[in-house]
Amino acid sequence: MKHACQEVSRLASDSLDRPLSLLEKLRFHIHLSVCGNCRNYTENMHLIHKATEMMQQTNYGHIRLSREQQQRLHDILHRETGV
Amino acid sequence: MKADITVTDNNNPHNWLNDHGDYLYRYAMSRLHDEELASDLLQETLLAGWKGHAGFSGSSSVRTWLVGIMKHKIIDHIRKEIRERNLVESVESDPTSAYFDADGSWHEAPQAWHENPEALCASGQFHTVLDRCIEKLPEKQQLVFRMRDVSGEESEAVCNTCDISATHLHVLLHRARMALRYCLQHHWFNQEEKS
Ligand SMILES: [Zn+2]
Repeated sequence: MKHACQEVSRLASDSLDRPLSLLEKLRFHIHLSVCGNCRNYTENMHLIHKATEMMQQTNYGHIRLSREQQQRLHDILHRETGV
Repeated sequence: MKADITVTDNNNPHNWLNDHGDYLYRYAMSRLHDEELASDLLQETLLAGWKGHAGFSGSSSVRTWLVGIMKHKIIDHIRKEIRERNLVESVESDPTSAYFDADGSWHEAPQAWHENPEALCASGQFHTVLDRCIEKLPEKQQLVFRMRDVSGEESEAVCNTCDISATHLHVLLHRARMALRYCLQHHWFNQEEKS
């Protein structure tokens, strides 16, 4: 297989976003069974994928409008809507 | 402008701000990563809600309805950004080639990391390094990576927002993930082994 690892790295990424075709799956798994580098790559990428997903919740979970931002928005709403 | 309709708890924009402001602000922040912009879009959303609240059927919750308005504001903003700043990425020259030798094998072998996502997430330092690595990505890659992997949006929604094909999205994500993995290898995992 020419350019095997380069192509397999693309399949590893694609598999997170679309179902691979039967042929692609076969290629992917056969290659991983003989290539430790691509196995590491795929595992690393899955780890990053999960970690970023979790990070979203911890990182953004505590974000709030500041008092100043809230006040500013209330003022603008009052001015623009008359309420 | 004077309010010529009866203001109730449900259509009072100040209540929307009090009850859903933080949620909407978070929603915008996680996608745009910019405090001022998120606050501006929240303002636009509340004002658009006020102008259009007669059209609110009440079949969904106020929050869902406001999120729907904000989604459109975010899409408009991103499309405008892509257009005006001419955020294009060449499909022809493939930056991931740099990670491989001419025969398509890894130039630098990816290492096994022996880590779990929970432990990584518990580390504030890891967040900082990850954030820095994301910020180093080219803008368009960063944009789709944040939407897809950080915010967890469906591929279809990201394609729709950015007005790109699925194939182009896959190319951009592949490039982003490749660069990110490399960045983390060098700025996090290699450092850990040394210390
Ligand atoms: Zn390989």
